[in-house]
Amino acid sequence: MSAYQEENFFTRGPSPLARLTFFSLVAIAIMIADHRFQALAFVRLGVSVVLTPIEQAMMLPGKLVQNLGLYFSEQGRLITENATLNAKVMELTAGHQQAQLIRAERTYLTTLSEANKRFGDRGVLAEIIRDARNPFVRKVVINKGSSHGLRAGLVVIDAVGVVGQLTAIGVLTSEVTLSTEKNQSVPVMALRSGVRAIAVGNGRDGSIDVPFIPLGADIQVGDALVTSGIDGTYPAGLSVATVASVDRNPAFQFARISATPTSGTEQHRFVKVLTQEELKEYPQPDVKAEENKPGRERTGPKRREIR
Amino acid sequence: MDLTPASRDSMRLPVPLRLLIGSFVVAFLINLMPWRGLALQVYPDFVLLILLYWAMQEPRSVGQGLGFLLGLLMDVADSALLGQHALIYVVVVFLAQLLRVRVLQQSLPAQGLHVLALLSLAQLISVGLNLSMGRELSGIWLIFSPLLSAILWPAISVFLALPRLRLRPGQMIS
Repeated sequence: MSAYQEENFFTRGPSPLARLTFFSLVAIAIMIADHRFQALAFVRLGVSVVLTPIEQAMMLPGKLVQNLGLYFSEQGRLITENATLNAKVMELTAGHQQAQLIRAERTYLTTLSEANKRFGDRGVLAEIIRDARNPFVRKVVINKGSSHGLRAGLVVIDAVGVVGQLTAIGVLTSEVTLSTEKNQSVPVMALRSGVRAIAVGNGRDGSIDVPFIPLGADIQVGDALVTSGIDGTYPAGLSVATVASVDRNPAFQFARISATPTSGTEQHRFVKVLTQEELKEYPQPDVKAEENKPGRERTGPKRREIR
Repeated sequence: MDLTPASRDSMRLPVPLRLLIGSFVVAFLINLMPWRGLALQVYPDFVLLILLYWAMQEPRSVGQGLGFLLGLLMDVADSALLGQHALIYVVVVFLAQLLRVRVLQQSLPAQGLHVLALLSLAQLISVGLNLSMGRELSGIWLIFSPLLSAILWPAISVFLALPRLRLRPGQMIS
């Protein structure tokens, strides 16, 4: 430390208070830039490239212990599991053949009607590495990133339902915001009655709220909520949650509905990222048609082509 | 062991650079471990603790600028809002600069109490920032993180002082 060779009697530079003011202002500016405008994604990306291998290395000791334990305990479990799985394969084979037929028929029909594409089998299997180290958010980190073709906004599912959505992409890892995160919303419909709704994460516990449902709407406890597919982000038909409680208080305009997520958003290990094609948000307006008829623009309500 | 500057029992060498950097690297690695569940809420922020220690012991080398940079690094690592840890670290270092002479005169447990106050303030800022962004408080357990840090403070102080202590012949570390 050179400071000890040349002792300065007086400290130089700005005072601690001035420094505090400066750094606090910079920090607040960065926070605003990050929160409001999401302007600093590239900084995150850059630093995460360096951090990822270090994080992986720090997980090695835990994994080692875990694997050692598994080595001794898994053998018996695997044998029984294998037996049940074999039985299940036999059971499913018949169903699979039937499903193939139905899928072929459906492909033919959808090409005929040029209907919206639903998600196919395209997807990237990923493993959950860890929870986000932040007690305020409900996010997990998976081991696939932009180098595997992922981008922000893709939907993540597990074997039973929607897990969440990709929100931050690193090169080798990315962050999944669980559907139970506060204000994380998924457009859903009740499978039984067809009532459309929005499932919004609660954030406090692992439950999901369904706001803005009129008191008289046909929703019961036990109704399955599946994605409705009308937003263009979540493909239709994925299971999201099951209605757990419906509170119809006439004092309020809307019913208070709470649901439990179908997927084990807190405990699963492998997830699938659906890499569907990016849907256009809005249909392109027919510019030429309007140019040809300038006079008719204001005569009636503007019609938008609905695909 | 009396580690206060006023004590005549211990003489200290200047801090070797590798101890300074090494302690930060180790603290950072510990923070990067996959904490989850309850442990995620109560684990002490080791980087902040080490930063606080050096800001008090070595104010010439460790200042608010370093705190700011480390904070940004932790923000990315914790997938927090960028700038959140940076703000907290800068505030803590500032308070350390303000209070260091007074704090270091006291015994290690008493220093721990000061640390408890400082880190509680840091935790309060963190909670306030998160609440202002519309997030929910995930539990009351968060208050134990500063407490654990305060308990760890004497141990860390002794541990980081050991490499640079010069003992008199015959003197023992008690």
